[in-house]
Amino acid sequence: MSFIIGLDIGSALSKAVIMQDKTLLSSGISPSEGNFLSAINSVLQKALGKAKLAISDIDLIGACGLGASFIPHSFHKISDISCQSRGTSYLLPTIRTLIEIGNQSSRIIQVTEQGKVADSLVSDKCAAGSGRILQIVAKVLKVDLKDMGQLSLKSTQPVKFTTGCAVFLETEAISRVAEGASRENIIAGLHQALTARIAAMAHRMGLKEDCVITGGGAKDRGLVKIMGEKMGKTLLVPDNPLITGAIGAALIVTEKKG
Amino acid sequence: MFYAGLDIGSTITKVLIKNERKVCTTVIKPTGAEHRRLANEIMDEALRKLNLTTANISYIVATGYGRINVPFADKQVTEITCHMRGINWLFPSVKTIIDIGGQDSKGIKVDNGKLVNFVMNDKCAAGTGRFLEVISDLLGVKLDDIGEISLQSTRPTNISSICTVFAEQETLLQLSKGTSIEDILAGIHRASASRIHSMVKKIKIEKDVAITGGGAKNIGLCKALEERVGFPVIVPPEPLITGALGAALIASEETKKISKEELIEKQLKRRWEAVTFFDEKPTKG
Repeated sequence: MSFIIGLDIGSALSKAVIMQDKTLLSSGISPSEGNFLSAINSVLQKALGKAKLAISDIDLIGACGLGASFIPHSFHKISDISCQSRGTSYLLPTIRTLIEIGNQSSRIIQVTEQGKVADSLVSDKCAAGSGRILQIVAKVLKVDLKDMGQLSLKSTQPVKFTTGCAVFLETEAISRVAEGASRENIIAGLHQALTARIAAMAHRMGLKEDCVITGGGAKDRGLVKIMGEKMGKTLLVPDNPLITGAIGAALIVTEKKG
Repeated sequence: MFYAGLDIGSTITKVLIKNERKVCTTVIKPTGAEHRRLANEIMDEALRKLNLTTANISYIVATGYGRINVPFADKQVTEITCHMRGINWLFPSVKTIIDIGGQDSKGIKVDNGKLVNFVMNDKCAAGTGRFLEVISDLLGVKLDDIGEISLQSTRPTNISSICTVFAEQETLLQLSKGTSIEDILAGIHRASASRIHSMVKKIKIEKDVAITGGGAKNIGLCKALEERVGFPVIVPPEPLITGALGAALIASEETKKISKEELIEKQLKRRWEAVTFFDEKPTKG
């Protein structure tokens, strides 16, 4: 009866799960805020506290994400894509395509029936194609990131953004505010712009159903709706779309070393 | 006879007035939201310096991103042509022009005073003045100073991101690691130069190379570009003005194409415009 930790140390959020016998015991999420070490410690404490365990009770740690090298315990590094794919497939076994909208990158992953990666595409060169752009515009509009989705759903006439660059899009958003466009319409326009980027990737990859969306972007109902409409697919959202990578890390390390 | 070139860039507006022999005056001001008003103001300022009125100007050519917002211009010409003409007049040996503007960057190929080819990036802030602006803001250093500061670097840091937003994050990470501002800025200039170089090399970089636009005022960026290109580059004494200079040169040519009567009519019309348009005051809310 071993206890396994899965960690996903992302550029914006650090995520931890504790699993036993492939059953999820607890999870925790903390902002990374540029200090990975303190984020890792905080997120471990949260997950261990909820499971009423100490780090000494843990048998194995599997980890993925940009900041994984900062983990102050011995661990096994697993690729982000494998973890996303395995973890999401654990929660929703029918999925064949996974769209992950993260802070620094967006990915489209084709998943096998076993939850393995069949193929993948990553956009990580440009903030306009990642969840980062949502945060940038949220700041311009002085809107809480959590409220973006609700506002977007109320839009009647989404603003058309003409640029693909996050920096220029920020300027354009400011101009639209000055011209009197509503927050709702600006956010919906932003969701369309981000969707256009992801749709271009999806077009190259093909979307086999069922499709699922994970990462911070999946928390944004407006984005999920607009993206689903544009792609003509129902996009499933896991109950907690942020921890799929961490779950995958725990599962894969169990299978490899358990 | 006087000829005027007006270059309304995304960030800076420039006016140049010349006669047959020489450049008489130049005015350089930041571009605001109101292009039209600024075009008038800056033109007025240039004229005042020379004790002239708009009616004394034979021909006005407007160029740049805001060129359609110059109601008193006789002709609009793209900034690519104007930069090419301006540089060709100053440095006839130049075959490749790298223009680094506030929100775009361009590569222009010249052959015997003719425009042969060009490439342009206006889709993305990377490799434009905007990129440098974002980083200098973040570091709390004046944009005018970052070039000099970067030259003091001993170990330039490696900035791997192309995207301005991600480079901003990388910069923060470097700061938290204790990397000096000099080393970060040197890395930033290298990253920017690499981006510009990979765009311009699509049109084949040939000697001589001139750098224009606001980016040319940044010695750190010019040095980084020289490293990339592999030989020294020419920087005009005032790299901001080459577009307006080219526009004024075109203005003097256009004057020769029209008859004396037409020219007088043009000037009279402009005098009338001067009364009606320039006296217009901003209306508030």
